[in-house]
Amino acid sequence: MPHEFKDKVAVIQFPGVNCEYETVAAVRSVGLDAGLFRWNDDPALLDGSRAIILPGGFSYQDRIRAGVVAAKDAIMGKLGELAKEGTPLLGICNGAQVLVESGFIPGLHWERVDLALAPNVMADREGYYCKWVYLKKEESRCHWTRTYLEGEVVPVPVSHAEGRFVTDDRDIIESMKENGQIVLRYCSSRGEIDVSFPVNPNGSVENIAGVCNPEGNVLAMMPHPERATWMRQVPEDLHGEWGRKRRGAVGSIDAMLVEGPGRRIFTSLLEAREPV
Amino acid sequence: MRKEKKGYHTGNVTTDGKKVSVKMELWVRLKVVDLVARTAIMTLIDKLDLGDDLAGLVHYSYWAMNASGGDFERVLEEVDRVIQMDSAFTNQNKHIYSLMVTDERARALHRGSLELEKDYPLEDGSSNESSLGGIFAVDCLVREMDDMRERGFEARLNERLEGVTVSGLKAGAMWRLLVHAVDAAAARKIARKMAVTRSRREGLLLNPHYQLLEIVSVAQLGNGGVGA
Repeated sequence: MPHEFKDKVAVIQFPGVNCEYETVAAVRSVGLDAGLFRWNDDPALLDGSRAIILPGGFSYQDRIRAGVVAAKDAIMGKLGELAKEGTPLLGICNGAQVLVESGFIPGLHWERVDLALAPNVMADREGYYCKWVYLKKEESRCHWTRTYLEGEVVPVPVSHAEGRFVTDDRDIIESMKENGQIVLRYCSSRGEIDVSFPVNPNGSVENIAGVCNPEGNVLAMMPHPERATWMRQVPEDLHGEWGRKRRGAVGSIDAMLVEGPGRRIFTSLLEAREPV
Repeated sequence: MRKEKKGYHTGNVTTDGKKVSVKMELWVRLKVVDLVARTAIMTLIDKLDLGDDLAGLVHYSYWAMNASGGDFERVLEEVDRVIQMDSAFTNQNKHIYSLMVTDERARALHRGSLELEKDYPLEDGSSNESSLGGIFAVDCLVREMDDMRERGFEARLNERLEGVTVSGLKAGAMWRLLVHAVDAAAARKIARKMAVTRSRREGLLLNPHYQLLEIVSVAQLGNGGVGA
């Protein structure tokens, strides 16, 4: 039986997504109430929700093109209304593809499709790529990343075949830069922006990993912060500070259960919304 | 005239001694229910409100290539042998296909059981002549810009072919849109509107920021088959 999501975080369950449960768990890890919301439930039940997340996976089995069928669903009309009112909206991986195909991201012209998440371009390989990568937090007014320091390096896994942000309109990129919409960029473990694979794991223009709308409350990101929410999820061989912390946690259950590098995406929801 | 054409099919290499470069196309579709096509139809009709325009839709995997290594028949036979064996192209359990020479000199040459000239399933299930009036079939090829997979397909074929080499391979998805229209120009316009994703409310089959649309043919149905 559907129930209201007032003050809760709604994780939208399109047919074919597969990261919804761990996304709910990640939100709950910061002390917020979260639940699944089926794509065909009454959209009015989302009124008053604290935030909305489109999780990763394969909505509609990626038929035709990743994210495009879900983008046409009626619920996206409601999410658009809520986003325009200022409700935080996050798309992770397939959720990011849905936001791009909906025209909510970059959102310079509402609902106009100004970007694509195209198949990965990688050296000597093609298709799906799953690996921990490093993200650099850029200067931005994005709601979802404000708990990170500017320039901070955040390791998070990617897991996709179509994650390459592209546009055929260079002006879109320039506008996104001017507006501070390029929120997260792929970088080395030392924070260097290197366009080559594997630092840039998919050939994304400008090493873009995450883009927000001009108002900052809608974020589309290809990496999976819900898979980096606990220390136990961090690989032992990771370079940098988080790798050292993870190796230091070996043998201690308590140390394994502390926050991982991706959790602060969700912690951002504890802070008051900024008006859009 | 007929004899002369046959001579091109079965003749040796060429009269000037060079190997023939044969233009070929491979169209493959599922012989079971195609869920991608069903999803496209439902999305166009139910979510984009194009039910008045769309009469039917077929979805194919498509390859085009130049092949050389003998006369038309020999080249066709060898490419046919390989694409039947390699599931990257066809799987006999679930696909039917049409492999055809598109070169004007040997257009009649063909392999496979897919009859493209009869593959016009209407969404309402009708098939009589009168129901086809005012319907156009628009074949829309969707390819990716700089598609890395095309080189992969080409290499894969060349590894398996014996005495035949392919080059210039193009790969993509072919969407046959059956649309109600007053003339071919209107049909083309409707198909483009259905195909190119401009916004959340317009277009479905390709994202123009990384994909290309080529409308390869527009044909009117009815009058005993496909008309001009």
